[in-house]
Amino acid sequence: MMTTSESTDTPAAADRPARIPDPRPGSRNLLDVRDLRVSFPTPRGVVEAVNGVSFSLEQGRILGIVGESGSGKSVTARAVMRMLREPGRVDGGSVTLDGRDVLAVPEKEMRGLRGGEVAMVFQDPQAALNPVMKVGDQIAEALRVHGVPKAAARDRALELFRQVGIPDVERTIDQYPHEFSGGMRQRVVIAIALANKPRLLIADEPTTALDVTIQAQILELLVELRNDLGVAIVMITHDMGVVAELCDDLVVMYGGRVVESGSVKDVFAEQRHPYTKALLTAVPRADAGGDQLVAIPGSPPNPADLPPGCSFAPRCPVARPSCSEAVPPLEELAPDHRAACFVSAEGGDLSMPPAVQARHRAARAAEGEPVLSVENLRTNVSRQRSLIGRIQPVYAVDGLSLEVRPGETLGLVGESGCGKSTLSRTIVGINEVSAGTITVDGRDVTRMTGADRQHVANTIQYIFQDPYASLNPRRTIGQSMDEALEMTGVTGSAARSRAAELMDTVGLAEGHLARYPHEFSGGQRQRVGIARALAKEPKLLICDEPVSALDVSIQAQIINLLEELRERLTIGLLFIAHDLSVVRHLSDRVAVMYLGRIVETGTVQEVYDDPQHPYTKSLLSATPEPVVDDQGRQRIVLTGDMPSPANPPSGCRFRTRCPIGPLFREGREVCEQEVPELTLTPVGQTAACHFPGELTEGAPA
Amino acid sequence: MSTTDLDNAAAPPAARRFTVPVSLARYGAALRTPRGMIAAGILLALTAIALLAPVIFPQGYDVQSRDRFLGMSTQHLFGTDEYGRDIFVRTVYGLRTDLALVAIAVPVSGVIGSLLGLSGAVWPRFGNLMQRVFDVIIGFPSFILALCVVVVMGVGFASTVVAITILGLPGFGRLARSGALEQQNREYVVAARTLGVSRRRILTRHIVPNTADPLIVHGAIFAVNAVFIESGLGILGLGVQPPQPSLGSLLNVGMRYVREAPTYPVGPILVLLLLALALSMLSDSLNERVNRR
Repeated sequence: MMTTSESTDTPAAADRPARIPDPRPGSRNLLDVRDLRVSFPTPRGVVEAVNGVSFSLEQGRILGIVGESGSGKSVTARAVMRMLREPGRVDGGSVTLDGRDVLAVPEKEMRGLRGGEVAMVFQDPQAALNPVMKVGDQIAEALRVHGVPKAAARDRALELFRQVGIPDVERTIDQYPHEFSGGMRQRVVIAIALANKPRLLIADEPTTALDVTIQAQILELLVELRNDLGVAIVMITHDMGVVAELCDDLVVMYGGRVVESGSVKDVFAEQRHPYTKALLTAVPRADAGGDQLVAIPGSPPNPADLPPGCSFAPRCPVARPSCSEAVPPLEELAPDHRAACFVSAEGGDLSMPPAVQARHRAARAAEGEPVLSVENLRTNVSRQRSLIGRIQPVYAVDGLSLEVRPGETLGLVGESGCGKSTLSRTIVGINEVSAGTITVDGRDVTRMTGADRQHVANTIQYIFQDPYASLNPRRTIGQSMDEALEMTGVTGSAARSRAAELMDTVGLAEGHLARYPHEFSGGQRQRVGIARALAKEPKLLICDEPVSALDVSIQAQIINLLEELRERLTIGLLFIAHDLSVVRHLSDRVAVMYLGRIVETGTVQEVYDDPQHPYTKSLLSATPEPVVDDQGRQRIVLTGDMPSPANPPSGCRFRTRCPIGPLFREGREVCEQEVPELTLTPVGQTAACHFPGELTEGAPA
Repeated sequence: MSTTDLDNAAAPPAARRFTVPVSLARYGAALRTPRGMIAAGILLALTAIALLAPVIFPQGYDVQSRDRFLGMSTQHLFGTDEYGRDIFVRTVYGLRTDLALVAIAVPVSGVIGSLLGLSGAVWPRFGNLMQRVFDVIIGFPSFILALCVVVVMGVGFASTVVAITILGLPGFGRLARSGALEQQNREYVVAARTLGVSRRRILTRHIVPNTADPLIVHGAIFAVNAVFIESGLGILGLGVQPPQPSLGSLLNVGMRYVREAPTYPVGPILVLLLLALALSMLSDSLNERVNRR
């Protein structure tokens, strides 16, 4: 065992060399991390963020590090780069890159390694680029600090741009970051990372901020880079789908430790740690039905306050008393497949208890008068005036119709910028209606007079993406609940008991009412948000990405809660999400939105089993599924980005990216000239396409 | 951040329905930093001396004698002035004047300025108009503006208070407005709107409490300014009029006799600096602890 003699991450580590022998001497590992320990001294004590992490990576392979917030995955990556944030320090262990002890080299030499041998790609490409510098200059800068002459730098920059698939390089190289879309910016960041031909690329959630179709492009690019340049990649992610799609090897982290590691194939075939197993069953799948998800109870541990023994024990369905006493070692349970679990090591059964009620929810027949009906809605989101003072309209929602009936769930799917949030905000009266009508529970509320607003507020409630932002930090949960109850005329002791009742409904306790929002975990806050929305006894809940800000293991809890409430209270749901799997899981009907319009709508079975619109088809194809034998599957990767709603394409709005549109097929002028209407297809659902059903799996032109 | 136990774990008893609001605790924490403690200590001491001045020096600040322009000594800590009055006594009474100024002008300016700034949330046109008025106030050099007040009201304590109050309005008003505008787009405000809560309620319940912190910190910063504005007016002879002393007017007169008594202005300057230093340390520590999100 390593002693914790070192207190900083600066070199001077003559006493550090490999006391822990490499298990495979002579192997050609590019990166070897052995028993790495990182801690953060804080006024409230030392937080051990990374606690004895070991893994290795061979040249040209992709390693996925999976974990939830606080699992220590990003800290591990930063420690490898020796870029820990203050006051973090490496307490022990070794990081060997190509035979060199990274923790021991002097800072000056380390600067050469960074960017030269190892490069990093961050989650937010916007923040990683300097907004006042041309992208070409930023790449050139990366080259020149590593000694490339100025003249050669530009040529190399052009070459890099081509390599990462940026179109029209001669022009785009002289543009500023804001002129690029999110996906293109991430390509620029990757180009900068590749500038000095690093042998190792560390990517920290590089696709989390991107849309599915763009994520598919970036994942494809990473695989290409690996194949063409032979770089090794460490991919940090929370998404098992991305791992299945991209990675060769996998390290699962929990509470600062590695709980399971092995090849992706082995781990997906048989999980040796209950956490890995639970992660895979807690995620809804786009290709599966609507059985209740097996949620992992509780929430990820706070690194400052880890439970004794196995950190997963308090949430583990198969934990034994001994699990809370000692930390299980990471043992090789099968060839090259390690796990840190006492139960698993003894060959115990890790299978999860079956879902409480494994039931398949039959799609609800649409019955009764719609709670919400939207017809030909247009919403202008621009306040920009032209020279003569006219408002130049930008319609984020442009001629959209939909209906939600009591007890029914309509899933609304679309990428960012398609107008789904504008739609929901227009319905509750935050944005103004430009044209069309909104009818709520039989009353036309398009004009949003004071009385209309009250009617909407009494019928429809909203659940926000970020529950923390939607709660006033200055008010206790009880005060927030009181405010909602006050609006329904419930006050005093009646309000108190009703608030307690609502807390119980969403799985919280009455005692929670006295707390402030910051005292809750993300999942609990979302429960509070739901309780507040229920206070008004709405007939319809609009859920705007209610789980996308939550950890994977928490998502299932909230999804199950929403499902349960829907059954119990017969509430209609308008469920808005970019995640097709979650939408499939919850919805009866689904509507796919693109650039302000619905391009396809029908029952979940119809749309998911046999999508008719090429956009739906591409979205489904781009969604990574946590299944390994999928790796050979041919994906439809859309080119380009969604156009701006300020200047939508003529005719079909999808034609600029459509794999069966005029870009790829001859004689498709109709797509440029005529706007396709939503029409009934032979299969059952409606789609707005001139050539519905033509695109089949894996056959882009 | 003390995040909580497990999601579904049993909650603590419902005993603490009313706990200390989050921000009050942060003010406490600000005062417990070394800087906050020193600042609070100096301010408390200065305030105590100023308040107790009539008890310590019951003879008042206008006792004249023939010992003019004495230097610093144990008998006259800061020496004596052109009428043989003890400068230390006058400085303590002057401090009293300054503290009274700060205690009146800063809160009044803060409240009026914030209300004018927030008015835009209810009456957008009036709010916009007020912003232009603030621009005009900022556009005027502060002493010209003070001069205008003096022209209208005559010199004296009251017109100094009014001048400082007016000079403070733009700072508070703009801060309140930008805070309110930022809050208006916060999701909890949107959440309240979707619940059907009225505009006025949203303003008083969600927006004002959440913009209060930066305003209070700004108040501490502006208090430093107020002391300097007073002394500036005093130096020009436009502030509090003799025989009533203020730190500024002591400086004004002291500089005039600096050849006869070189140590005359030293005492008042030291006290003025001490007061300004304490106030700015206070605003710094508040800014660090309270103002960050």
